Amino acid sequence: MTLSAATVTAIHAEVARYPSKKTALLPALKLAQKDRGWLSKETLGEVADLVGLPHSHAVELATFYAMLFTEPVAPVRVEFCIQLPCALAGAEAALDKAAKLLDVEMQGTHGTRHGHTKDHQIELHGTVECYGACHRAPMCRVGDDYVENLKTDDDLKKLVGDLKIRAQQAPGH
Amino acid sequence: MPLDYQPILLPNPGRTTAVTLVEYEARGGYAGLKKALEKTPDEVTAVVKDAGLKGRGGAGFPTGLKWSFVPKMPGPKYLVVNADESEPGTFKDRDIMEVEPHTLIEGVAIGSYAIGCELAFIYIRGEYTVAGDRLNAALAECKKAGLLGQPSQLKKADGTPFVLDIIVFLGAGAYICGEETALIESLEGSRPMPRSRPPFPAVAGLYMRPTVVNNVETMANVPFILDKGVDAYKAIGNPPNNTGPKIFCLSGHVKKPGNYELPLGKITLRQFIEEYGGGTPSGRPVKAVLPAGVSAPIIHSSQLDAVMDYDGIKGAGSMLGSASFIVMDDSVDMAWAATRMVEFFRHESCGKCTPCREGTNWLEKTMFRILEGKGKESDLETLQFVSKQIAGNTLCALGDFATSPVTSSLKHFKDDYLLRIGKKSDRAAE
Ligand SMILES: Cc1cc2nc3c(=O)[nH]c(=O)nc-3n(C[C@H](O)[C@H](O)[C@H](O)COP(=O)(O)O)c2cc1C
Ligand code: SF4
Ligand code: FES
Repeated sequence: MTLSAATVTAIHAEVARYPSKKTALLPALKLAQKDRGWLSKETLGEVADLVGLPHSHAVELATFYAMLFTEPVAPVRVEFCIQLPCALAGAEAALDKAAKLLDVEMQGTHGTRHGHTKDHQIELHGTVECYGACHRAPMCRVGDDYVENLKTDDDLKKLVGDLKIRAQQAPGH
Repeated sequence: MPLDYQPILLPNPGRTTAVTLVEYEARGGYAGLKKALEKTPDEVTAVVKDAGLKGRGGAGFPTGLKWSFVPKMPGPKYLVVNADESEPGTFKDRDIMEVEPHTLIEGVAIGSYAIGCELAFIYIRGEYTVAGDRLNAALAECKKAGLLGQPSQLKKADGTPFVLDIIVFLGAGAYICGEETALIESLEGSRPMPRSRPPFPAVAGLYMRPTVVNNVETMANVPFILDKGVDAYKAIGNPPNNTGPKIFCLSGHVKKPGNYELPLGKITLRQFIEEYGGGTPSGRPVKAVLPAGVSAPIIHSSQLDAVMDYDGIKGAGSMLGSASFIVMDDSVDMAWAATRMVEFFRHESCGKCTPCREGTNWLEKTMFRILEGKGKESDLETLQFVSKQIAGNTLCALGDFATSPVTSSLKHFKDDYLLRIGKKSDRAAE
């Protein structure tokens, strides 16, 4: 068992909540990821067992959705939206500046770029999905939180300072 | 001059906190629901039909008509609110949910009564956790006040108690979940891939039961219609085809991006960009506008006098869709812009049909080659050819959407491509 007792209880509550237990699978996977940081094969199996479905069902969902991770991720995951409205507002330059301030070497081309700090505590992503914050561009998501209006160098410096604090507070540091 | 108009969907521009139940009721909230419950469900559907409300999720399907398709059979029926809002440039449903959660809940309650639903779902894109939390808080307020529940304290026209629970369900990051049958698959716990139709959701949707899927903004229009009546609603906008208010999202090269709720059909695109958006930050002229996020053809600047409604935007060669306007000034290379849009569709294609899965890959590779200066003139033909292979040959509209940035940019801004492939040495605009 890898999941905490609280997560198991929460998953049981999800299973009881919907007309069909299968509906609980996605919320259950999200709960498990919140607990473990990512969804290993073992965790996927546990979740499927708790919901009462074949393991393959859990794998099918986990490998489809962008917000579910089947590989380990850094404790602080930052996603800069660089879809068109954000890009027009300078999102790519903002991402580059953030990378520079964090001493992160970015890899990849065009919309999908990524990199991480040397200690692997912070990872940066340029993503082509719009997050519904185009009127407050440039913006990024830090974990589940929106950080919007990253318009000036000072905004970015503040963001980077916050990221470093988060990385220090992350479990396992 | 900005229009003299009192917004009804977002009556608190600039507000960032959620309107509470006490505040909502103080401004007449839930009166629409109470009036609806005095009518029969069919009468409620008829009112919404008469009002001329069209779906605000993109396709513009008449809402009352959609409700009337639900068969009158015993057993569960479902209302599912589409709050997946993932179209680039769209952030209106987010504002409704974060600031005016009760308007949405009241709309859902009225719609549920009309179709005979006792358990409704609000399917929110996974990133909108704040909207989810606020809706859950608002739902708790309603339950405590007896407006919702199994049963609620409200009575229906037939004297029996009104019964309704609403579940907020968060997705996990997938644009395709906005397509209504993929959304249903996602809610059922399957991989969210669109279903082939028939059967239509109205007959066999969620859990194979009769289901109505409506957009957040669509539902937010319903309380006003029931409370103030059809005539008051029709007085807004440009009937018969363009009735009611619309939230226009504005982003890209404008000084004042944001959500603007305005009557349909009262201003032109030019007025919108200049009077509401404050014009371009650079002061340069507008080169192009996308009216429906990245999913409908690009509008050339020669069409800026188009009227902001379904018919007007259609007349300009595009579609109003979700009414997400992305403005680009003349510094933008449209080959670059179209590539970014194609990257989106390649990323979001669910992979179920070959033309979309392979075609978006092919488009993306070709566009990248052109952007990197390695393109040839024949690549432009390839783009047209691949687009033709995709359009109309796929299970859902995402395939068509993916081709529109390519074909419309080639149509209006071919020079930008020719420049990239070295067939033209000078930018016309510079
Ligand atoms: C690829 C794709 C994405 C869509 N995304 C959304 C969305 O995010 N929100 C939405 O309301 N409708 C979206 N739609 C339209 C829905 O399928 C459906 O028409 C709509 O939810 C119906 O609600 P309405 O009648 O109130 O507009 C999308 C359609 C397609 C093909
Ligand atoms: S058109 Fe694309 S997104 Fe739609 S079902 Fe086919 S592969 Fe999936
Ligand atoms: S394009 Fe970046 S949030 Fe919408």
